[in-house]
Amino acid sequence: MTATPTTQTALRLAAITMSFGPIEVIKGVNLDIRAGERHAVIGPNGAGKSTLFNLISGMFAPTSGEIFLNGNSIAGLSPHLINRAGLARSFQITNIFHRMSVFENLRIGVLARHGVRYGLFRPVAGMRQVNEETAEVLARVGLESRGHDLAGDLTYSEQRALEIGMTLTTGAEVILLDEPTAGMSREETEKAIELIRTVTEGKTLLMVEHDMGVVFSLCDRVSVLVYGDIIATDTPERISANRAVQEAYLGEEAAS
Amino acid sequence: MMTMRNLLLLAVALALLVIVPPFLGLGWQNMLVNVLIASLFALAFNLLIGQAGLLSFGHAAYFGVGAFAALHLMRAIEGGLPFPTPLVPLAGAAAGLLIGLIAGYFATMRSGVYFALVTLAIAELFHSLAPQLEGVFGGESGISSMRMPWNGIVFGSMLEVYYLTLAWVLVCGLALWAYTRTPFGRLTLALRDNEQRVRFLGYSAHTAKVIIFTVSAMLTAVAGSLQAISIETANYSLFASNVSAQVVLQTFVGGSTVFFGPVIGATAFTLFSFLVSDLTRSWVFYQGLIFVLVMLYVPTGIGGVIQHHIHNRRQLDWRNMAGHYVLAFVGALLLTAGVVFLTETVAVLFGEDYAMVRHNAEGGLPPFELFGASWNPTGLLTWLLPIVLLIGGGALLIRARRRISTIWDRKGPSNATATEPLLAGGAK
Ligand SMILES: Nc1ncnc2c1ncn2[C@@H]1O[C@H](COP(=O)(O)OP(=O)(O)OP(=O)(O)O)[C@@H](O)[C@H]1O
Ligand SMILES: [Mg+2]
Repeated sequence: MTATPTTQTALRLAAITMSFGPIEVIKGVNLDIRAGERHAVIGPNGAGKSTLFNLISGMFAPTSGEIFLNGNSIAGLSPHLINRAGLARSFQITNIFHRMSVFENLRIGVLARHGVRYGLFRPVAGMRQVNEETAEVLARVGLESRGHDLAGDLTYSEQRALEIGMTLTTGAEVILLDEPTAGMSREETEKAIELIRTVTEGKTLLMVEHDMGVVFSLCDRVSVLVYGDIIATDTPERISANRAVQEAYLGEEAAS
Repeated sequence: MMTMRNLLLLAVALALLVIVPPFLGLGWQNMLVNVLIASLFALAFNLLIGQAGLLSFGHAAYFGVGAFAALHLMRAIEGGLPFPTPLVPLAGAAAGLLIGLIAGYFATMRSGVYFALVTLAIAELFHSLAPQLEGVFGGESGISSMRMPWNGIVFGSMLEVYYLTLAWVLVCGLALWAYTRTPFGRLTLALRDNEQRVRFLGYSAHTAKVIIFTVSAMLTAVAGSLQAISIETANYSLFASNVSAQVVLQTFVGGSTVFFGPVIGATAFTLFSFLVSDLTRSWVFYQGLIFVLVMLYVPTGIGGVIQHHIHNRRQLDWRNMAGHYVLAFVGALLLTAGVVFLTETVAVLFGEDYAMVRHNAEGGLPPFELFGASWNPTGLLTWLLPIVLLIGGGALLIRARRRISTIWDRKGPSNATATEPLLAGGAK
């Protein structure tokens, strides 16, 4: 840890906009994510949270604006280059290798980290370091007993855990999680929070989360995205006390 | 375990492949050479569709490129180049690698239908250009050469060609098998499963697909050069779309989800065409029919069905099932007989020869010869026989199929993951 860790910016979004055809979905977002913090993005359905993640991770290029990862511009780069620059993401809709074993799902990312991306001349079974690290991640996300099963055969919450595990495998320091606890029961959510807390220790986390309870127990700061605009960024306590936020978002939740 | 048994099976197959051919006639030796070449072609092709999920409709291009490259090298050897004849397929491999790299770069920019169309277009490009390029492809007549002796081996007999082909096919087949166990082999499967996620894990999907395409083209070209060595000639018809279609057919009928599936398909088709193509002109029709039926009723192909049975062998009530399988087989046989009879009858009646006969008979419908008997075109038996065969065979087959599937449904849960293709389970 450096003396002033909070002054370093891991991820900076500068006036980014994004349009799908004539519809502007992201309307000039500015956001600084500090290195080492856990930061939540909340907002109503269709606000553009996932789109924002897609822009950061390279699925789409922003229409205008800049994105910096550790000071380097990454806007418009391909997903694999952004990943190699140190950013990994999970998906709101589970996005795994259904017809491969759970272990192999995780090993793909570990191999990428070890730089044997296109290795053609050695059997993967003999790569001890790679297989040990994969087993480690498998244990961290609590799927030790499921390693040999097909990922497609896991339960929903196990698949969500795998989704998080895969995000960790490439060794990225900046982690984006898109609604990791969506659709989980109370207990499953509790477990997921603990999991996310331990695996993001010492890393930078940006997550989309609907559940304010999760946000309170996990995150240092929160940004509120409404119709493609960030209307406030602050600590969870102050956000929930914020008038504008209550009107735009939390009030809506309370009413429903 | 499974692997031990597989190893044993493989050893037996290998021993047979080495020991038996000297005792066979020239025709059968030649047939086996064709089986080996078709098998390698299909295995290399299946690297794309079976493992990476990319369907190429233009693999004739790389097969042809390999053949022509080999012939050019053989001509150079004839002219005095001191190059060992057994290594001629290396020329095919090099040419396939180069052309595959270029074609693959463009084709893999797209996926799905667009990928298939680009590969088709590339093969068509070769097919239309080759007759015009006298120097490279020898114009319309193509180019020929002769196998030159090397180190005391004359390469004059079919048997020598057979062993050379066998050695190359085994080495390439083994390489393809080893491929599935490398990190890149596993990535290939991941790419088929979920290309998008692969990108977000730090891999360039395009680079990966270009490499896969290149490997496939390279080994396809080796198969092409083995054919060139065997028949010592090649012309532009190697680039024709029916060559590309043939390998698709063989691979899918054999089973693209199983590693050895393509070999099964290639062997079956080559063997059948060897046995049947002299007897009937409707062979291509039968091929198409087989393909359609397999796709409709057993989409995982022959290999998939075999693998499914092996995976569930412990859970299945074999004693109860055996009889139904025999009935199903008899039903299929009757059905086949009906189809063949009908097809051949129609082929005769609408054929040119029969038109001649009718002309001579001044428009009447004289009897015709089929299967060593004489049939009357307006006779009841001529049409009743195939219809009875079709209905009887069909009914038998449907009944047996229903029984078999209820027994399958009753079986206990399988311990092997039934949905897991052999490829996915290949490396742990
Ligand atoms: N690929 C796309 N093409 C066109 N429009 C899109 C696309 N993806 C998202 N949108 C639109 O952009 C807007 C923002 O969608 P987005 O998925 O980013 O919202 P979100 O905040 O993640 O919502 P949710 O809470 O439901 O996940 C929506 O109106 C959506 O319909
Ligand atoms: Mg979303």
